[in-house]
Amino acid sequence: MSRPAILPARGFADRLTGLFWRRPRLLLGLMLTPPLLWLGVVYLGSLAALLLQSFYSIDEFSGMVVPEFTLKTYAELLRPANYDVIFRTLLMSAAVTLGCAVLAFPIAYYAARFARGRWKAVFYLGVMLPLWSSYLVKVYAWKLILAKEGIITWAAEATHTSGILNAVLALPVIGGNSLSTSYIGMFLVFTYVWLPYMILPMQAALERVPTSMLEASQDLGATRAQTFRTVILPLALPGVIAGSIFTFSLTMGDYIIPQIVGNSANFIGMAVYQLQGTAGNIPLAAAFAVVPILIMLVYLTLAKRAGAFDAL
Amino acid sequence: MTVAVEFQSVSRHFGPVKAVDSVDLTIAEGAFFAMLGPSGSGKTTCLRLISGFEQPTGGSIRIFGEDVSRTPPHLRNVNTVFQDYALFPHMNVRDNVAYGLMVKGMAKAARHARAEEMLALVKLDRYGDRKPGQLSGGQRQRVALARALVNEPRVLLLDEPLGALDLKLREAMQDELKALQQRLGITFVFVTHDQHEALSMADSLAVFNEGRIAQIGTPAEVYDRPATRFVADFVGSSNVLPPEMTRALGGPAQWASLRPENTRLAETGPVTGTVTALRYLGSGTRVILRAGETEIAALVPAGQPLPEPGATSAFAFAPDALHVMGGA
Repeated sequence: MSRPAILPARGFADRLTGLFWRRPRLLLGLMLTPPLLWLGVVYLGSLAALLLQSFYSIDEFSGMVVPEFTLKTYAELLRPANYDVIFRTLLMSAAVTLGCAVLAFPIAYYAARFARGRWKAVFYLGVMLPLWSSYLVKVYAWKLILAKEGIITWAAEATHTSGILNAVLALPVIGGNSLSTSYIGMFLVFTYVWLPYMILPMQAALERVPTSMLEASQDLGATRAQTFRTVILPLALPGVIAGSIFTFSLTMGDYIIPQIVGNSANFIGMAVYQLQGTAGNIPLAAAFAVVPILIMLVYLTLAKRAGAFDAL
Repeated sequence: MTVAVEFQSVSRHFGPVKAVDSVDLTIAEGAFFAMLGPSGSGKTTCLRLISGFEQPTGGSIRIFGEDVSRTPPHLRNVNTVFQDYALFPHMNVRDNVAYGLMVKGMAKAARHARAEEMLALVKLDRYGDRKPGQLSGGQRQRVALARALVNEPRVLLLDEPLGALDLKLREAMQDELKALQQRLGITFVFVTHDQHEALSMADSLAVFNEGRIAQIGTPAEVYDRPATRFVADFVGSSNVLPPEMTRALGGPAQWASLRPENTRLAETGPVTGTVTALRYLGSGTRVILRAGETEIAALVPAGQPLPEPGATSAFAFAPDALHVMGGA
């Protein structure tokens, strides 16, 4: 008996596979439609609503939102009290991003270049493990660590280094009564909670730099510092930028940490939280929320112009 | 003769793995030297010992008489063309070539002028503004060559330089590399697993096997008088004859090699075999005979009658074609 050249379709799955083979875009379309709907309607839609709200204003007597186009609300952002909030948030975000980048680089470099097998698993576990526990638990734990009766004060006393701790706390502006009520403490907590978001993209970027490229640089006479500046850093920059987008925007939008740690100075996230809640000033809350978006756009434009994405 | 590179019982062990095991080697100045061997034979490790990316676990390495065993790569006057070229993707071709001069602190205008000269040398002038990603494989290879030569190294190391190129380009590059080496007079040391490449380009070569050098000599010496069974087998797919076969063919009871191109099919002979396979090579046909446990390849020139598979045939060769090997 001769064997057929075409096998019989066994059922629905065979016919469906055939359909997808004839029309490859159909499968792609089916897979992409739900997330695109979600992104398009829920995400971009709410962003548009936010943008729209920010151009409304609030009636000062009735406290009601006036749905008429005005730039009055944005003008309010420039009042000293509000401007301070933005400036403070921006500085803290920049400091946290820088701190994370400096701390993350050696870890990411080690993981990308040297960690193999078991040590790679230890690396991923070590970086991800803190993300598994509740964010609030971590922040409160840090509050206790940094408190005046906390472990750091105790350790400083035990090692007779209280002088150093007091000198740090005596620094103007960033110091304070204790670490948990100072900008330094807030910086430490922010850096801790966002560090994994810097390490992972950095490690991914460094992993893509072939060892032979570092060897070529040395072979041609470059010192370690020159290799770092002219080869490693430019090639890792997309990863650093990706990481800094996380740390920068997460810090700018956070409203929990500034409430729990620090000197209760206002940050953008807290301002938005208060304005849309107790104050009921949705337009100003929306205008505040637009600020981080604008800052990120400016940041990305500058990064692109500096050639951060050339190696992509 | 000035010695460019000298190994004195150099070893490089990775734990229990003896990648390079007590190797002695001298490479003369101005030589085009090939390190030939299968993968894992230690040839690349030897190259990396010269460039400084590996440190010997024993022995000493001298470059032009100076002991470099404790000298880091960036201070060695030796440059490398990497197997994957390792061009910097974020720099254009000119900056890639000028890199070695840049890290030495040469001013921009001067180093760019020099880079253009080097690009002209490898026939890539007018390509300076391109990024490596916009070049073909052969062009990238030339850039890597220009970049390695810009520092005027005393020894140029090439790690499988032609491995990633297609056949036609590879043959053209072989001629070009050879011409370039003769023009510059720099000592070239190149690593390859391709015996044709090693035989056609090098003026002397070392055959590596399991971390040791099996034979050093000119291509003709290595090809005609292989020192060991391994060399005979690896270089030019020779017939390796066991002692009893050698004796049956009129030689001493020792291992011997016999090149297929020196072997002809014959009506009668001391040893007969069964034809098991025919391989058409264009210029002729290679006929494989099986005689007992041994396979013997003979070359039948184009136009001559071929035996049928399964037929019985004897073979003949000129008496001096049988090369008796000393070692195992």
